[in-house]
Amino acid sequence: MKKWLFFLFAVLAVIVLTACTANESAGEGDPSESNDSDDAQTEEPSEKVLYLNNGVEPTSFDPPIGFDSNSWQALNNLMEGLTRLGKDDQPQPATAEDWDISDDGKEYTFYIRDDAKWSNGDDVTADDFVYAWKRMLDPETGSPAAFLGYFIEGGEAFNSGEGSADDVAVVAEDDKTFKVTLTAPTGYFLNVIANPAFFPINQAVAEENPEWFAEADTFVGNGPFILESWKHDTSMVMAKNDQYWDAETVKLDKVNWAMVNDSNTEYQMYQSGDLDTSGVPSDMAEELMSGDDVIIEDQAGTYFYRFNVTKEPFQNTKIRKAFAMAVDQQQIVEYVTKNGEKPAYGFVAPGFTGPSGNDFRETNGNLVEFDPEKAKTLLEEGMAEEGYDELPPVTLSYNTSDSHKAIAETLQQMLKQNIGVDVELANAEWNVFLQDQKDLKHQLSRSSFLHDYADPINALESFITDSSMNRTGWSNAEFDGLIAKAKAEANEEKRWEYMYEAEKVLFDEMPIFPIYFYNQVLLQKENVTGIVRHPVGYMELKWADKN
Amino acid sequence: MLRYILKRFTIMAVTLFIIVTLTFILMHSIPGSPFNQERGTNEAVQANLEEFYNLDEPLYVQYFIYLKAVATFDFGPSIKQPTATVNDLLGRGFPVSLELGLVSIIIAVISGILLGIIAALRHNEIIDYIAMTIAVLGISIPNFILATQLIQTFAVNLKILPAATWSSPMHMILPTIALATGPMAIIARLTRSTMLEVLTQDYIKMARAKGLSPAKIVFKHALRNALMPVVTILGTLLAGILTGTFVLEQIFAIPGMGKYFVESINTRDYPVIMGTTVFYSAFLIFMLFLVDIVYGLLDPRIKLHQKEVK
Repeated sequence: MKKWLFFLFAVLAVIVLTACTANESAGEGDPSESNDSDDAQTEEPSEKVLYLNNGVEPTSFDPPIGFDSNSWQALNNLMEGLTRLGKDDQPQPATAEDWDISDDGKEYTFYIRDDAKWSNGDDVTADDFVYAWKRMLDPETGSPAAFLGYFIEGGEAFNSGEGSADDVAVVAEDDKTFKVTLTAPTGYFLNVIANPAFFPINQAVAEENPEWFAEADTFVGNGPFILESWKHDTSMVMAKNDQYWDAETVKLDKVNWAMVNDSNTEYQMYQSGDLDTSGVPSDMAEELMSGDDVIIEDQAGTYFYRFNVTKEPFQNTKIRKAFAMAVDQQQIVEYVTKNGEKPAYGFVAPGFTGPSGNDFRETNGNLVEFDPEKAKTLLEEGMAEEGYDELPPVTLSYNTSDSHKAIAETLQQMLKQNIGVDVELANAEWNVFLQDQKDLKHQLSRSSFLHDYADPINALESFITDSSMNRTGWSNAEFDGLIAKAKAEANEEKRWEYMYEAEKVLFDEMPIFPIYFYNQVLLQKENVTGIVRHPVGYMELKWADKN
Repeated sequence: MLRYILKRFTIMAVTLFIIVTLTFILMHSIPGSPFNQERGTNEAVQANLEEFYNLDEPLYVQYFIYLKAVATFDFGPSIKQPTATVNDLLGRGFPVSLELGLVSIIIAVISGILLGIIAALRHNEIIDYIAMTIAVLGISIPNFILATQLIQTFAVNLKILPAATWSSPMHMILPTIALATGPMAIIARLTRSTMLEVLTQDYIKMARAKGLSPAKIVFKHALRNALMPVVTILGTLLAGILTGTFVLEQIFAIPGMGKYFVESINTRDYPVIMGTTVFYSAFLIFMLFLVDIVYGLLDPRIKLHQKEVK
């Protein structure tokens, strides 16, 4: 009897404890969530709240550290750099209201707005930029974005541990004048500095509290929104920043970010009205793509496959070309991925406009075509050159994911059908896969390239000899030379000529072959307008509205 | 009893030590590193990062650093989120996961036992068949499928419950149902079969002959014995619920500990891997220990230790 009572007591105690903790955490619940998602749309009609999903907890709101869209998507709206990409995806004056560029294209002088303020009332000064940019290049900071600062004179040396902070050519001439000297004329520099790695940091705040970015109550930004609250792993709330120099343009009152990592759950929350935008779950792509609420935007990047030219049989150019021409990109985007992507017949994605208003991709045309007959001939010729009676076994590798698997299986089938080659498939977890790719262990492996800044050189320079982005073992002196010349060339027309040439050389030797150009596909409620998404860059909520 | 507890604690400590060692070995034998990115950082930066996290030391030194961390329960900062220490992450996530797990196991135990009793008392009647069908469905349907279906039905179609996240008691309903259904089904079936057995025993006949009410017979006399097998499997069920939280937390966007456990392996976040593994293991080992104690208390016939024969 006593033991029975004891047991009952234990159970009751647990129930009571649970009830208590349940009430506790319900009380601690995010105040903006206590409106309960059921009546999400019934707050005071005068307050405009946008419900978005960040997917996961941001990696870091420290501008040079959070080098991914999970962090920079939100940070781009909490802070602002010298320039900001506008509705036309071009850099517009932001914290800097004007700038001068020297004749040789290497010296930029930025004039910071008088009314540019931090959310704590401090003025944004040129020193804040000097502090932030030097910190980004400091090897102690360990910023993965530091390579973007190599355009600046002294940047690469400092970051490699060979130079000093003083040699980095960024100077605050006075409180509102900021001067940068570049290593070479870089026509797209204004584009590059819109990237969150180049955001200023309030030096006084950061020196007092090195973890100022970790919590909402210590976060100080200069963007269109402030960070009102941040419940880690759960949600973030941003509110309109009244101190922002362009506050009249901002129409939203609040932005509520959920952190829902499951694509199906995200879609279900979109359906039930808890979210205003959502991605398209892959197994529902077919039926949802024809809906009215689908938005398709370009995303500058390419899905492609890399050959390993140091491993048989891909040391032979003709064999590589044979494989490349046996692939029907149109079929893949139409029947396998079905996400509205554009098939790729070149490496540089569409959307880059040259000096004479021409699009890079359009001008350079299709550099590889689907041609099974030619592919067969090339394969025979290549095999003869190498003295193969039979082609050595080939393994096609990809990192584990259902979508990559579908494409890999399609390629396997196409290679069998069009040139009679049987390839094995192999997949590995991302980290392992990446390491093997860097160590040149694969023969033929899947890859993707997404732009860091809006210029074709960002993509093309991946394939210079020994670049960490090369990973094919390919080395071509002509290609290296063209890229070097393009980087040093001040005349935009000539620079683009070099880039066109370089891409042609790349496809002449075919160390890679492309599949499709990335895009952004999502669902958005009809009453939401003005969210600007760039092909290269992060979501802009400054002009967003909800009716 | 005290000697038994001391003996158990020693065994628990040894088990934990073995787990920590094995985890360390496995963790460092997977290829890849926490700093592996597409573009790669230059050598100076790489060296700084490795030094900060002690990854430039030889493996056996790193091992002893870890042992010290486990002993003092201070695992240091996470590699992926440098401003959060592992203890911060555990502190954020554990209360949530604990709540989810505890409420689920309580629902599972109470509803499972009740369902089992009802089925046993109304043996071979319609209620019995219905109850057992529910049980079979509960065991067969994976909890993540049930979860998605519950969201679809109650949040999207009927709109009476929130779809995801964890900010009010209303939000708790769907996740706990999804998590509790499997264990509930198992407990129901087990309770039913044990109950049926117990009800045919002599002492039950005696109780009936004495004129005791059915409720008293069931709850005062029969249940205690029927519970024995349930308590036996409670340990395994707890483990099942623990691992069940990983998937369900992802589906319901519940900010629990499960995602750190899974994600840290992908990102090779060594401090977080060690911290979460040690924590989960310690928790599970301790729960199993408690279950054994309860077992001994419930049934006076069970002696957990051997009395010396003088």
